[in-house]
Amino acid sequence: MIPARSFVAIMGPSGSGKTTLLNLVAGIDHATSGKVLVGNEEISSMKERDLAGWRARHIGLVFQFYNLIPVLTAFENVELPLLLTQLKKGERKAHAEAALAAVGLAERMQHYPRQLSGGQEQRVAIARAIVTDPTILVADEPTGDLDAKSAEEILNLLVKLNRQFQKTIVMVTHDPRSERFVDTIYRLDKGIFIGAEPGGRAETLQIQPQLTA
Amino acid sequence: MTKYIGLVFKNLTRSKRRTILTILAIAVSLFIFALLVSLPTFANQVVADSASSVRLACRTKMGWDYPLPEAYGVKIDATPHVAAMAACVIYGGVYHDLSDQFPSLAMDADKFDVLFPDWGITGAENFKKTKTSALVTDSAMRRFHLHVGQQIQIRGTRFAFNLQLTIVGTIAKGPSPDFLIFRRDYFEEAAGKPGIVDIFWVRVDDSRNLPQVAADLDQQFANSSAETRSESEASFIGSVLARFQVFLKLAAFIGVVVVVAIGLVAANTAAMSIRERRGEIAVMRAMGFRSRTIFSLLVAESLVIALLGGALGCGAAFVLLSVFSLNADVLGPFAVLRIPPAVLGQAMIVAMILGVLSAYVPALTASRRNITESFRLID
Repeated sequence: MIPARSFVAIMGPSGSGKTTLLNLVAGIDHATSGKVLVGNEEISSMKERDLAGWRARHIGLVFQFYNLIPVLTAFENVELPLLLTQLKKGERKAHAEAALAAVGLAERMQHYPRQLSGGQEQRVAIARAIVTDPTILVADEPTGDLDAKSAEEILNLLVKLNRQFQKTIVMVTHDPRSERFVDTIYRLDKGIFIGAEPGGRAETLQIQPQLTA
Repeated sequence: MTKYIGLVFKNLTRSKRRTILTILAIAVSLFIFALLVSLPTFANQVVADSASSVRLACRTKMGWDYPLPEAYGVKIDATPHVAAMAACVIYGGVYHDLSDQFPSLAMDADKFDVLFPDWGITGAENFKKTKTSALVTDSAMRRFHLHVGQQIQIRGTRFAFNLQLTIVGTIAKGPSPDFLIFRRDYFEEAAGKPGIVDIFWVRVDDSRNLPQVAADLDQQFANSSAETRSESEASFIGSVLARFQVFLKLAAFIGVVVVVAIGLVAANTAAMSIRERRGEIAVMRAMGFRSRTIFSLLVAESLVIALLGGALGCGAAFVLLSVFSLNADVLGPFAVLRIPPAVLGQAMIVAMILGVLSAYVPALTASRRNITESFRLID
């Protein structure tokens, strides 16, 4: 069980099932057996159509390689998930601008992905992930393609989103530097949950995660 | 759906060169399609234009290569409700080169202008006065740089003798843009008085009497050595054009084949474009975009390309023919060819079908592909 509003990392060697677990939590993969419960909803039994709607409402995704749409500006990339909502154009604009401002890219809204650095691209991806105010932010190796400085900036940004905006963040990572930014680290090996341990922030913030296998 | 329009157009700018080339390929195919499909429509239009004519054509029942005796003319002229009659022989003829071939007809001069008042003839009086005179259509005058008063030689193709003619007037509008009329008595003299006629053109006093007169004429010559077939001008032109029906159908078929060929190229291009974006499509679906929305977006892109190509191709065909019709020398007999609005509509519908079909399968596959599988393919 992952507590709400916590920032957790899933770590383990390659092939241990980290990304598969993340995909199950995000509702983009289907469990071959068992159930996946997110909040009070059993998403493993949802139909594809309902699952798409559920993802749009509850999940924000951040990928290792950013996966921005190259023909869209930073603003348009961030606005993209809002097309799924009932918001009017002006409201979408306000939300997208606020999200970009939250990640410190208010000045880069009209830039295309090719005009941004890797760290900036990942910030745009994070803005895109939070713009719909999702319940959970899932990040798959968000620092995997960044240099050390940019990686630290991204991790600090995730911490800020977790603390300031009370977002639950589930992050898959290989990066041992990430440990000090998260509340809890879940370790997997060969598809098996082998244990959980407090991250660097857990002691500081006096948060004791409740974990069950 | 209007909020997605911007996204569709943005995606078209992804590879501008590819988008432009695909639009041009579709434009060229629909340009050809519109032109070739217009040919049968053009032929039908020529027939329709002559539907209100009060003329009928009387020719032999045996076929085009068998003439009628000129003596029939007296009986035809005396038939009730016949207002005027002119005998006509198809001389054929080449002006300079073989490519300069156009219809040359030997026609009785005395009632010629009464029979064809709708042709806009100038110089009819001189035509009646001078045996070697000729009337030439305005289009042919421009095409061969002729002028009134000029003497020309026409080389026979059907008959083994040439004719020296003097142009005394012009014809503004006839059944064909390029043709020439000269006097049948001059033909008879040059040919050694064979006394033959290919067609008797008959003007009837009232269009309601056309069927009756046609029946009377054929009845008069029934059981003779040269039975006749009389028919309205529209029917006559229709039967002439029917000889080219196979070519017209072939032209339309080629138009369809060209569109199908370009459709396959467009389908390949759409498949490539969609395959390159598997990752983006997976991301959009992971965000919550439904398969149906993704499918619609991908097909809409293809549809926009096809419609732009269609509009460009049809527009080019329409404008080009309009320009050529002002300069008839270029198109020769096709100077009056127009692309009817119905064909333009058909071409745009074909473009629409092309757009939807070319992207249908790749868009359906991409929109239904497992999201995690797509991510694995791009990692």
